[in-house]
Amino acid sequence: MLKIEGLEAEIEGKQILRGLNLEVKPGEIHAIMGPNGSGKSTLASVLAGREDYEVTAGSVDFLGKDLLDLAPEERAGEGVFLAFQYPVEIPGVSNINFIKTAVNEVREYRGLPAMETKEFMSHLKEKQKLVKLSGKLANRSVNEGFSGGEKKRNEIFQMAMLEPKLGVLDETDSGLDIDALRIVANGVNELKSNDNAFVVVTHYQRLLDYIVPDFVHVLYDGKIVKTGSKELALELEDKGYDWIIEEFEKKS
Amino acid sequence: MATLTLNDKDRFLINQEGQDFSHEAKTFIKIRELALKNLKELDFPSKKLEDWKYTNVREVSKTEFRPQSAINIIDEKISAHKIPNLNAYVLVFVNGFFAPKYSNTIEQKESGFIITNLNKAKKDFIKLVEPHLGFQTRAKDQFFVNLNSAFSQDGGFIYVKPNVQLDKPIHIINLVDGDLVASYPRNLIIAEKCSEVQVIVSYETIDSNSALSNVINEVVVGEGANVKLDKIQNENLNTFHVGADFAKQQKNSVFTINTIPANAKLIRNNLNIILDGTNSVANLYGAVCLNGNIHVDNQTYVDHAKPNCESNELYKAVLNDSATNVFNGKIYVNKIAQKTNAFQSNANIILSDNASSNAKPQLEIYADDVKCSHGCTIGQFDDEALFYLRSRGMRESTAQKVLLDAFIGEVLDNIKTEPVREYVDELIAENFNSLN
Ligand SMILES: Nc1ncnc2c1ncn2[C@@H]1O[C@H](COP(=O)(O)OP(=O)(O)O)[C@@H](O)[C@H]1O
Ligand SMILES: [Mg+2]
Repeated sequence: MLKIEGLEAEIEGKQILRGLNLEVKPGEIHAIMGPNGSGKSTLASVLAGREDYEVTAGSVDFLGKDLLDLAPEERAGEGVFLAFQYPVEIPGVSNINFIKTAVNEVREYRGLPAMETKEFMSHLKEKQKLVKLSGKLANRSVNEGFSGGEKKRNEIFQMAMLEPKLGVLDETDSGLDIDALRIVANGVNELKSNDNAFVVVTHYQRLLDYIVPDFVHVLYDGKIVKTGSKELALELEDKGYDWIIEEFEKKS
Repeated sequence: MATLTLNDKDRFLINQEGQDFSHEAKTFIKIRELALKNLKELDFPSKKLEDWKYTNVREVSKTEFRPQSAINIIDEKISAHKIPNLNAYVLVFVNGFFAPKYSNTIEQKESGFIITNLNKAKKDFIKLVEPHLGFQTRAKDQFFVNLNSAFSQDGGFIYVKPNVQLDKPIHIINLVDGDLVASYPRNLIIAEKCSEVQVIVSYETIDSNSALSNVINEVVVGEGANVKLDKIQNENLNTFHVGADFAKQQKNSVFTINTIPANAKLIRNNLNIILDGTNSVANLYGAVCLNGNIHVDNQTYVDHAKPNCESNELYKAVLNDSATNVFNGKIYVNKIAQKTNAFQSNANIILSDNASSNAKPQLEIYADDVKCSHGCTIGQFDDEALFYLRSRGMRESTAQKVLLDAFIGEVLDNIKTEPVREYVDELIAENFNSLN
């Protein structure tokens, strides 16, 4: 579904990704871990199409299309969804109008008719329930005045509404208490199917107790330096990243 | 040998003459004569004047505008300028002249209010008109105010008796039809003690290759009264629009004005509010959404003359193409006006390299126990927000429109009448349908 090869990217002239390879198949969950500043959010942003980043080498194939060639909205239409590490507050845009506009634009892109209000509302209620997002938030401005947990649940809610094929979650677990973490994880597990896939960026192994990954990757210095099974996450929790970094630096 | 040399202003003024006002009562003729005298002494506004630094009306002085009544008014052409679904009393003026056929006047003595044309009121309700007409517009130095005072053909007259609340709003439609038209509509709105009224004044064009709309709205807000004025400026791109609004508030009153300059070649508005009674509130809102080469200049002046009053001022502008915007907001707090709360905010979003905005807040505060604040921002759409919206599948144009609606919505939310809001939304959307 997603094939990243030799990806290099820079921001403001500073190289961040340095030849990253990753392949994700339908039905899989990949966890990406790594120390702060290693490039995890950069990878997520490059996949979503943030224009501040310049891709200088490599390729990203998504379901047979050159992802890097598409505008952010086209990527969303194709089925890429990024749950932001820092969801953006947009004063004056109500959450419900925002998601309705997004849903219908994505549907238009996918060649589907706009949703009738009734259908949309029942869909909305169902997905709000999935992440225990209060209906009251619907009429508030997007993310404005939301608690940290509400913002993250709002991201998963949007993901549920947009039905992506690839969900990229950038530290959705950071700053969440255990209840909120369960809600977020439960949301992802409900959405999970044999046709879609998730890339879950996290610092903590505790999320992976709830979202069980098929693969765990360590991202360091702009590359994936180690890949393992879910046990790798436990080992990282135990021993930290230093041993991997040493191992990697010895090799190179 | 003496030669008489006429300058542009002289020629311009001569072109305005020739209307016969001799049938008017002396008291009203005096207003015209005084204004004419002022005009003779004043220079035509030019960039040399501080107030006119950014707005060039030289072309007005050089164009042969003259008052002229419209010929052949066609029903459909008038009704096209009504606001769809708006249930309102309607007064229509074409080129400044009253069009009774399209207007609903209310003139019965036993009614709680009077809605008619000013010329009629000058005859039939002279006692109501006389104390107020021209009272707020006496400023000697305002060329265009004097111009209207001297040559105004007619306008709306609205009088609301004490404690009366109008059952529906009043819509005054001012249209221009024909070439080289000088139109001088002038409305007088009087809300007596504890009355309530909402007036929508719109300015539009039937058909014209060149026009000058020089307008005045004079509002008297009685004690405890609540007056709302929505001013929609939607003339064609051949029109110079220079207008002034005046409101005088007595104690415990509320006055709210929404100014929506949407289309013309040039729009200049001078809004003057005097809080002349304690515990009064003035709300000044402006939404300036421009494309093309339109130039809009809003000058506002709030005079806190009495203690314990509040003024809330919010003007926002979105500028595309080569549109230019000027905002000059002055707040004056008299030394006796303690406990004044005066807020002013001006925010601009510039969408194109050729668009520009010029803002100048001016606070003059002579009382010591006051809360005043002002803020001004000029910027672009927030890139983070744009990316967030696009990452959810919205096209860039949709994302921009969503942000635009949110930005300007903060101002437009003060238009509480749904059909008016829809009408304004439509105008603004048209100005931005070129967003790509
Ligand atoms: N806008 C930016 N300008 C310059 N450097 C940046 C910018 N954003 C991120 N970086 C740098 O890129 C590196 C990777 O950041 P990021 O991808 O956010 O890491 P992670 O998500 O793994 O913590 C860091 O060194 C960070 O300082
Ligand atoms: Mg990060």
